[in-house]
Amino acid sequence: MSARLEAEHLYKVFGRRPDEAVERLRQGADREELRADGTTAAVIDASFTVEPGQIFVVMGLSGSGKSTLLRMLNGLLEPTAGHVRFDGQDLTAISDRELREVRAKKISMVFQHFALFPHRSVLENAAYGLSVQGVPRVEREKRAAEALELCGLAGWEKSWPDELSGGMQQRVGLARALATDADLLLMDESFSALDPLIRRDMQDQLLELQRTLKKTIVFITHDLNEAMRLGDRIAVMRDGRIVQTGTAEDILLRPAGDYVASFIQDVDRSRVLTAGAVMDTDIRGDEADCGCETATPETPFTELCAISARLSHPVAVLDAGRELVGVVPRQRLVGLLGDERGEAPACDRGEKVIARA
Amino acid sequence: MPRIHFGDWVESAVDWLQSHLGWLFDLVNVVLDGMYDGAVAVLGGAEPLLMAAILAVIAAWLRGLLPGVLAFVGLALIDALGLWQDAMDTLSLVLVAAVITVVIAVPLGIWAAGSKRVSSLLRPVLDVMQTMPAFIYLIPGVMFFGVGSTPGLLATIIFAMPPGVRMTELGIRQVDPELVEAATAFGTSPRDRLTRVQLPLALPTIMAGVNQVIMLALSMVVIGGMAGAGGLGEQVYSAITQLKVGLAAESGVAVVILAMYLDRMTGALNERVSPLGRRALAKAAAARRSALVHYRPAGAVAVVGVVVLALVAGGLNWAGSGDAEATANGRQGRDAGKTVDLGYFPWDEAIAATYLWQNVLEDRGYRPKVRQLDPGPLYSSLAGGQMDVQLDAWLPTTHKAYWDKYGSRLEDLGSWYGPTSLELTVPSYVKGVDSLADLKGQSAKFGGKIIGIEASAGMMGTLNSRVLKAYGLQGEYKVVSSSTSSMLAELDRAIKKKEPVVVTLWSPHWAYGKYDLKKLKDPEGAWGKGEQIHTVARKGFSDEFPELAGWLKDFKLTEEQLASLEVAIQKGGAGNEKESARTWLDAHPGIEDKMAPVS
Repeated sequence: MSARLEAEHLYKVFGRRPDEAVERLRQGADREELRADGTTAAVIDASFTVEPGQIFVVMGLSGSGKSTLLRMLNGLLEPTAGHVRFDGQDLTAISDRELREVRAKKISMVFQHFALFPHRSVLENAAYGLSVQGVPRVEREKRAAEALELCGLAGWEKSWPDELSGGMQQRVGLARALATDADLLLMDESFSALDPLIRRDMQDQLLELQRTLKKTIVFITHDLNEAMRLGDRIAVMRDGRIVQTGTAEDILLRPAGDYVASFIQDVDRSRVLTAGAVMDTDIRGDEADCGCETATPETPFTELCAISARLSHPVAVLDAGRELVGVVPRQRLVGLLGDERGEAPACDRGEKVIARA
Repeated sequence: MPRIHFGDWVESAVDWLQSHLGWLFDLVNVVLDGMYDGAVAVLGGAEPLLMAAILAVIAAWLRGLLPGVLAFVGLALIDALGLWQDAMDTLSLVLVAAVITVVIAVPLGIWAAGSKRVSSLLRPVLDVMQTMPAFIYLIPGVMFFGVGSTPGLLATIIFAMPPGVRMTELGIRQVDPELVEAATAFGTSPRDRLTRVQLPLALPTIMAGVNQVIMLALSMVVIGGMAGAGGLGEQVYSAITQLKVGLAAESGVAVVILAMYLDRMTGALNERVSPLGRRALAKAAAARRSALVHYRPAGAVAVVGVVVLALVAGGLNWAGSGDAEATANGRQGRDAGKTVDLGYFPWDEAIAATYLWQNVLEDRGYRPKVRQLDPGPLYSSLAGGQMDVQLDAWLPTTHKAYWDKYGSRLEDLGSWYGPTSLELTVPSYVKGVDSLADLKGQSAKFGGKIIGIEASAGMMGTLNSRVLKAYGLQGEYKVVSSSTSSMLAELDRAIKKKEPVVVTLWSPHWAYGKYDLKKLKDPEGAWGKGEQIHTVARKGFSDEFPELAGWLKDFKLTEEQLASLEVAIQKGGAGNEKESARTWLDAHPGIEDKMAPVS
């Protein structure tokens, strides 16, 4: 299956003579050199692909260029160089009118500060995209009401945005994006303005919706935990460049460079890792024959620890066809929690050490 | 530094425009005049109290019962002051000017909000429009458009435009950029973005701008009164020039009532029009218990109220129109039925002669239209042919400047009164000063000042260049140029406090009747010979109105006649000049037939 969304060597430079700046960046100039000339390189040579139904998270600190990158995907900002392909169509090459058409029908967006129209009711807000498309009133109100219901806002249609809490407002924002039936959702730090508990709720709800709707989502965040929770794939940005792209496990287990490594220190690994990511694939073949409890590659880390605690030997990992694919020794589980990947050397005294709490 | 002749360039540009773009000015004139006349017909056509009731219903709809009642009381007060028609003229001017201004200003503001370059180009233009003294374009306006509502309207539009543009631009720029981005992200076209998101959200600010436009228009309309835009402005202006403080105050009160009405209504309109305002309103209504004071008729009720009152007003008008055509007394002139435009500036002899002729001409079947103007606009409109006759040309001195400029385009129909005299005058209680020569060495007494009139007046030139020199007063006295009304006010003040004062004055003047004054003798004859008061017409007037031109050429008044006529008009009070002149005519039988003999 071909990629739904493809970004190809995207550059965005603000300031004078942007093309010249891109040329210098290609030849290896760095961001600071350009800044001295008064030009700002917001995004430098960003490439990635997003498969249909995937949540692709772009993670980076503020100023890393992630919002600029997102805005190039639906043409709110025109790339200085590079291409964006969506469903095979090059969005950088089409006319304004066609671009508006794509935005109205195929790509919708959810904003950090909700960006609800204060002069429209909740229902009218949710129906906004449809009214832009010229969908007749009765139909668009029906579809908007459905989208609101999907986001858990049934019964709030007649309210006004400022009467809602932040979390509810963002649900309206999400409903507005879903109502148009767009395939691609761009979410710009959509949950960052919410307090932590509400943010958890919203993340859960997004994952829940995603199970049934199977949208393609590009999600921007500065919070690596959020990235790990939501992302099928994650791109880490630093100073305008994508420094690593991969799954949550890739990034946790094989961080590309010190920058990413320093980032992942604070991540709660137990929520991210699964048996498939941590298992040892170097197997003898008979580990599962004892009839004890086994795990699957999708088994979460915490559950794996529980199983391991009940067994005296490494946990066997079986795939869907009950074939043995790997084993997880307890020492590896402990090592991952302590961020220690080395093999344990033999102890000098060769005695058991009992830790006392 | 080389002298830059900016003024000359402007003058030649004005001349060029006058001769080449006449058709354009005529078109603008027709459109603006038409709008104004329409508005006057609607607003001023009805019975005052009915119209006040209609405006009060609108107030009740927009703001509630109490403001409605207050509006009615205020408007009724205007009627009680006898200023209703003027107030409606003013209201029409304001509304027409405001509508045109908003129609131009809002799109300009939108344009400026969308483009930094437009915005920065527009800013100095708006600065000029807002700060350039209105007289500077008011008078050329008269040259192009003639006397009447158009120059006043244009000056008002120019003056009131900047806040409309600026507030629109500000309002649109203030809309949260994330909302604009959200609209764009959902595929909204730039035009829809404007109408669905930016304008609705900017509306409160834009309406604040509209409010400013209306208030500025109202303040400017008063100045427009000088160029013949009628209404309260003319009342204020003529009251001030004649030093009728009471009348000026009454007109001022009427202006204030109108201002408050318009201000409150546009403020409330904002709440009614903008979606955010409507919400705030609904919230407030839900929050408070419904009291009678807060009762506001629903839109439909208000419309019904207005329509019913308007129908009643229309009906009354129709019923009353039967006896409107007054019949002439049968002694018609040859050009009966023709319209004659008589202009005057508010000097007493001009008022007297003009209203006298208005009565006589009406009796002869003419349709005289009388309009008050400043001397400058009056001469320029005579030269431009928009005005037919003015009866108060002081020649050869006082109006020398005008005669030099426009004389070639005017007809002199001869003098009807003379000689006049110019003089310096002191109150009689100033002892020891009887002639100009006595002023020498007395400057400390008078604070070294001679209170003059408008710097443009011919007598001011004579005073400075000849009179002071002849008596060796230059250096010792400073001639303060102000305005006739300021001079009279200063005279009045000084007399009340019994202070010595020396002012420029002329005869005939009502001040000699009102105060005990002493004309300073002029043994050297420095003031020159007395002047004659001439009747001046536009070029071609005597060909078109041979009979009337003949009458005017033969017109003469003696000092006694003029004095008694002026006294009669003073007694009748402002607003009744025509009736007072009629009373005087009736008391002096035979004069009418002498003025306008019909075979």
